[in-house]
Amino acid sequence: MTVFLHAVGFGLATSAILALAAVAVSLQVSVTNFINFAYGDFMTFGAYIAWQLDVKGVNIVLAIVIAGAATGLLGVVANLIVFRPFMRRKVRPVTLLIAGVGLSFIVQNLIVIIWGAEPKRLVQTLGTSVQVGPFLFTTGDLIMICTAIVFLVLLHVTFKYTKFGKSLRATSNNIELAQACGIDSERIISITWFIAGIFTAVAGVGLVLEETTLSPTTGFNELFIIFGAVILGGLGRPYGAMLGALIVGVLTEVAGQYMNAAYKTSIAFAFVIVLLLFRPQGLFAAKGKTS
Amino acid sequence: MFILTDLLVLGCINGIMVVGLNLQYGYSGLLNFAFYTYVAVGAYISGVLTLGPSTTPGVTYILGAHLPWPVALLLGGVAAAILGAVIFSFTVRRLRSDYLAIVTVAAAFIFWNIINSDVNLFNGANGIFNVPYITGNADLSTEQYSLIILALAAVVLAACVWLSRRIFRSPFGRLLRAIREDEDVAAAFGRTIWQSQLWMYIVGCFMAGLAGGIFVFYITAWSPSAFLPLESFFLLAALIIGGSGNYWGAMLGAFIVIEGLNELSRYTPTFGRPELAGAFRALVIGVVLILVLRFRPEGIFPERWLDWYGRKTRAAAAARWHPANWTLHREEPSKVGKP
Repeated sequence: MTVFLHAVGFGLATSAILALAAVAVSLQVSVTNFINFAYGDFMTFGAYIAWQLDVKGVNIVLAIVIAGAATGLLGVVANLIVFRPFMRRKVRPVTLLIAGVGLSFIVQNLIVIIWGAEPKRLVQTLGTSVQVGPFLFTTGDLIMICTAIVFLVLLHVTFKYTKFGKSLRATSNNIELAQACGIDSERIISITWFIAGIFTAVAGVGLVLEETTLSPTTGFNELFIIFGAVILGGLGRPYGAMLGALIVGVLTEVAGQYMNAAYKTSIAFAFVIVLLLFRPQGLFAAKGKTS
Repeated sequence: MFILTDLLVLGCINGIMVVGLNLQYGYSGLLNFAFYTYVAVGAYISGVLTLGPSTTPGVTYILGAHLPWPVALLLGGVAAAILGAVIFSFTVRRLRSDYLAIVTVAAAFIFWNIINSDVNLFNGANGIFNVPYITGNADLSTEQYSLIILALAAVVLAACVWLSRRIFRSPFGRLLRAIREDEDVAAAFGRTIWQSQLWMYIVGCFMAGLAGGIFVFYITAWSPSAFLPLESFFLLAALIIGGSGNYWGAMLGAFIVIEGLNELSRYTPTFGRPELAGAFRALVIGVVLILVLRFRPEGIFPERWLDWYGRKTRAAAAARWHPANWTLHREEPSKVGKP
């Protein structure tokens, strides 16, 4: 039982990271309606920026803020240069998907060219264990969970109570109608990419803190687990993605506890496959997005 | 000289793969990010079937046998085709394209993970090695052997292209294009969509298995590091850049993208850090892929350049519509335009 509860605890920390990434993906899908295969590499990019600044001696919080801004800018630029021309031509979703694969090649290998392919080892500075109720957390886990909660609440407030949030929901609901109402949907889409970039970078830093290594494929390896969480929550539904992340995170950690560790990611992948085969619309499907 | 034959052999093998992928993505519009998995299946099966039972302690694999190489090669292709049929019936039939992409990548990762971690299947991460030369005698020099494999690969590639051409021009090929462009319309004309796609999927996987078999005969070893899930992305990029739907384009893509960038750079002088060359060429592939999708989505050799009907069919069609044949009554077929 203790082992089980500890696994659930690890799962919660994993879920927190996963939730940030999944919400970012879901947010972007909700306004652009295609799945971006380069997302994992955006995460890696953010993590590398934060790591580089940290090595240079910048305060870690400031480093994460700068990394978030940089990744957000990367998202905006990627949208402007790569995705928007395709979306204006109204190509099939498959084309956007493959363009995402191309972008993934570009970002991942730029990282290799700039920072090298060998993994960077991090010194875990946030390592002391804390007993919270039945769970055992490291302080790093706790910080990660709190950060995730703060970010998600902030997002919720933005969504619900600001004019931007309202325009975003309108764009996501029906882009033509939103444009007819005078909403500058391209501006909304750009801002969404920026916000998603910030979330992605924070998730990337969290992922690296958890795994204690950073390599150019860190984010890409996590990508399909994130997709699993996103789809479980219903594609294009940020709130669903949070719950999806919680389920996927806890499930993989608990399953990993009782099985060969080599198969831990395979379990998550198998879960994604089964989910897509039997309930592709997720737990809460968004109307009009996908099927 | 060896460099040239080596490049040509790898070009032909990659050509078979991309031509096979073209049957799936180009002809039928089925997105498959796990294509290299089928190559791996073909390579492993062909490898162990000629390798014989394991005699070295610490090296374990299943299905060890001393079969003649053509049988092993065909069985490798068949194994890949069967796996393809199974996966198709579970996934392709029920998923839309972007989910299918995710599922194929996830399946490729799982397959790779299992092969890599389970030493009992195909000797885990170390893989199989010392696959005998298909000529039987091991005293051939590498250069002579590469020439023999080049002949084999070229013949198989030619057969694959010939088959692609036959399919493309057949009524079945036109049905596939109709399905790819609009499934609902094709279904409304009473066609069974999934049946036609299944055939293309199976034939494509069979070609992948053959390519894998020839590959393992050539390099005489195979391990998980040889089929990283990333390779499938390169094949797809090659197909799209070359021209998806066009078998000449598929070959061109294999030779330009995979040969020109991947294999050739093994012979060019290295610079800087060792991983830099690889990173640059993947970067270039990414940029070219996006540029092609943006400015020439049909690829370098577009599908429309292909002869849709062939000379004979076209002559017959022309004869049918020739003014000399314009009659009100069509009982008597005319002889105009026919020998």
